[in-house]
Amino acid sequence: MPPHLCQLCNTARAQVLRPKNHARICANCFIATFERETAETITSSNLFQPGERIAIGASGGKDSTVLASVLKTLNERHGWGLDLVLLSIDEGITGYRDHSLDAVKRNSVEYDLPLKIVSYEELYGWSMDQVVAQVGKKGNCTYCGVFRRQALDRGAAMLGVAHVVTGHNADDVAETVLMNLLRGDLPRLSRATSIVTSTPRAGQPKASLDGQPAAVSFTNVKRSKPLMYAYEKEIVLYAHHKKLDYFSTECIYSPEAFRGSARTLIKNLERIRPESILDVVRSGVDMAKLVPDADGNCKGACGSRKATEIEVKHDGEEEEEAGGGGCGSGNGQETGGEMAEMEKKLLQDDRAEEEGTETHISMPVKAVNGQRHDGDEKVGPPAAALVGEANGQGHDRHKHPPMSTATTVPIRTKQEKKAGRRSGRDAPPPRQVLGQCERCGYLSSQAVCKACMLLEGLNKARPRTGIEVGSAGG
Amino acid sequence: MPGRRAPAAPVDHSLCRRCQLSEPAITVRTEPLCAACFSRYVSTKVVKRMESFRVRHLEPGDERVLLLPLSFGPCSTALLHVLSHQLKGQAEKTSRTGYKLHVLHVECGNAATDSLLSKVRERYPEHVFSSCSLSDVLAVDGVPELFQQDPSSGQLEQEQGGSSPQGSLDSMFASLNSPTARDDLKQILIQKLVVAFAKQNNCEAVLWGDSATRLAERTLAETAKGRGASLPWVVADGDMLYGVPFYYPMRDLLRKEITAFASYVEPALEDIIVSEAVKPAVSTKNTTIDDLMKQYFESVEQEYPSIVANVVKTTSKLQATSLQGVETQCELCNVPLDGQAPERSRLCYGCIRTLPHLSS
Ligand SMILES: [Zn+2]
Ligand SMILES: [Zn+2]
Ligand SMILES: [Zn+2]
Ligand SMILES: [Zn+2]
Repeated sequence: MPPHLCQLCNTARAQVLRPKNHARICANCFIATFERETAETITSSNLFQPGERIAIGASGGKDSTVLASVLKTLNERHGWGLDLVLLSIDEGITGYRDHSLDAVKRNSVEYDLPLKIVSYEELYGWSMDQVVAQVGKKGNCTYCGVFRRQALDRGAAMLGVAHVVTGHNADDVAETVLMNLLRGDLPRLSRATSIVTSTPRAGQPKASLDGQPAAVSFTNVKRSKPLMYAYEKEIVLYAHHKKLDYFSTECIYSPEAFRGSARTLIKNLERIRPESILDVVRSGVDMAKLVPDADGNCKGACGSRKATEIEVKHDGEEEEEAGGGGCGSGNGQETGGEMAEMEKKLLQDDRAEEEGTETHISMPVKAVNGQRHDGDEKVGPPAAALVGEANGQGHDRHKHPPMSTATTVPIRTKQEKKAGRRSGRDAPPPRQVLGQCERCGYLSSQAVCKACMLLEGLNKARPRTGIEVGSAGG
Repeated sequence: MPGRRAPAAPVDHSLCRRCQLSEPAITVRTEPLCAACFSRYVSTKVVKRMESFRVRHLEPGDERVLLLPLSFGPCSTALLHVLSHQLKGQAEKTSRTGYKLHVLHVECGNAATDSLLSKVRERYPEHVFSSCSLSDVLAVDGVPELFQQDPSSGQLEQEQGGSSPQGSLDSMFASLNSPTARDDLKQILIQKLVVAFAKQNNCEAVLWGDSATRLAERTLAETAKGRGASLPWVVADGDMLYGVPFYYPMRDLLRKEITAFASYVEPALEDIIVSEAVKPAVSTKNTTIDDLMKQYFESVEQEYPSIVANVVKTTSKLQATSLQGVETQCELCNVPLDGQAPERSRLCYGCIRTLPHLSS
């Protein structure tokens, strides 16, 4: 068979088969098309303001490397005047980031973009190596994951940058859509499909970052995903044909069960019909418009400008970046039973429903991995079932104080006492509707965010001198 | 569960959890149940979903007919069986019933359904039975126009030298570019035909046999086909995109539960059920998106039944766009086109994916 000619220029040999429309095009036309489409995404959703400072979350991997390269190119081509900065997070695990940070450093030189590497130690007062020394190998993944979710926001705030862009691609978004359908989390589905997620109404933090310019608080950082309509395959191809320098890792981090399931489905869907990745993204965007808010109003279709509020109400902890990290010590082990745990919880809910409702209390139920069930839609299981410590599951995630967000339902005396004791200990008075950490101001479904909780534990066990960002009275 | 639920007598785990008399025949969401208790469990779940069609909701002298599309699969057959039972009970108690059933079988080219239909008719003589062929959809308002503008279909008809409805339907399916598209179109055409039949025969609603498992499959399949916007209509009870409300009375039961139920019924339902051929594993060339989701939920259903149910529960929370004030609807699937289709398109994005050559 003779080689195909490029369908666009009709001169060069076709080298790329585009998954989204089966077009066969040459490398130059592909690069031009990829850049044009990214520019269209950016302009049609008004992602950037002229002259805006933008931090590119740079991990050294293919997605963020392509993002940096494309943004640099488009910024110059279209005269957007963006002030671009590379922002990398160093967890402080000896050796773990060496290669990827080297790639970021080379990119910084090649694209002539300033690079800021922010370490966990700067952000939280603890590097992961120190955390491991303190808590041991087992369980340190919890710390790494929780710290990572806030790290980009905190790092950006340190730089005085109010907008972070990340390299999430169409495959990541599609995967997250399916994952959240599987675990029944519509708010997160909504969030994953928004090209911009911002939390501008969260207000000022109660404890600001020591010695940092007050202009940007990390509770106020906007996030966006300019590559959310780009196929992972095309990102790899772009990096290849532009000869970009990135660090490719075989991801040693085994995804949690729901994400793993969704990932397999996406791979199989792509095999059956490559277009379906973008079709899932489109479906997700459309579904997000149909997600009711807490008052039962629909969010998009009726045109009420409540979208941001809904995002704020949602617990604000970012999705872990798909493939974006992991501290490399077997995260999977800890979360592998995620589906089983959810199954158990759902079954308990069912039983409770069948048994009648007099013992129900209404509260936001926090399940594994920060997954949140809407307290207002779901009647909670009997309180007895929620006391994790009672059946030997005394992880931190079971200890959330009952924060009443909605109606009060008759509660049996025994539970009332329990609830009273618990709120007396560490919860604010009820009626805190909007989740915001009372210590650091970060969005949280609990009174104190997970990062602050973990830091409190760490700091208590080994009091440290010096700045402890984010801890009470630091 | 700890504490307060403990019954007076210790539970004998070797016996049915509910009656403590018989040997368990099946484990339902961790509860071992005997065949009788399990059948009661299934019937209760279905009847609960038929609340709005109870006798007392019926004005005296009124008659209410519901259409039950019967595919001879385990789910729609079991639904027919349970509802027949419910109606018998009503008739005995109050000498009238809350509704009457009209059973419709749509033939999709597989033979031997005639004898099945007469067997079913014999077993449940109290209902009205009809059957029609999928090609009858070409007589439904708007459908021929929909396909006529296809530049290739006229040609195909000529080539085949015939213009029988079955022939033109076959050539239409043959012109589609993938098994997924054929699957998708078939499902939509069956719905269209059923709705048209319901309207013609004054049926107030359509009762589909979809299990929770099937609805979960459809949730993910429709999502993957770019039809996320129509999900609220796909899974919600009582909503109508086509002008006749759809209900899914089996929505609280898993497919494996319904299949087990069908095997316990006496006399056996098996000789009026056509079991589906087992499709080969994923990633062969002829696998469709619906097959993929079916295989996936078949495995999830084994270990995590509540997660399957929860997918459906979650999807039901999505709010359908109001059809009032909607200017144009997709000519194939009826979804409102506003924002769901390229400008001036007759079809939504999902349908364009299925019928790319008809999109203009
Ligand atoms: Zn070319
Ligand atoms: Zn905090
Ligand atoms: Zn029994
Ligand atoms: Zn359509």
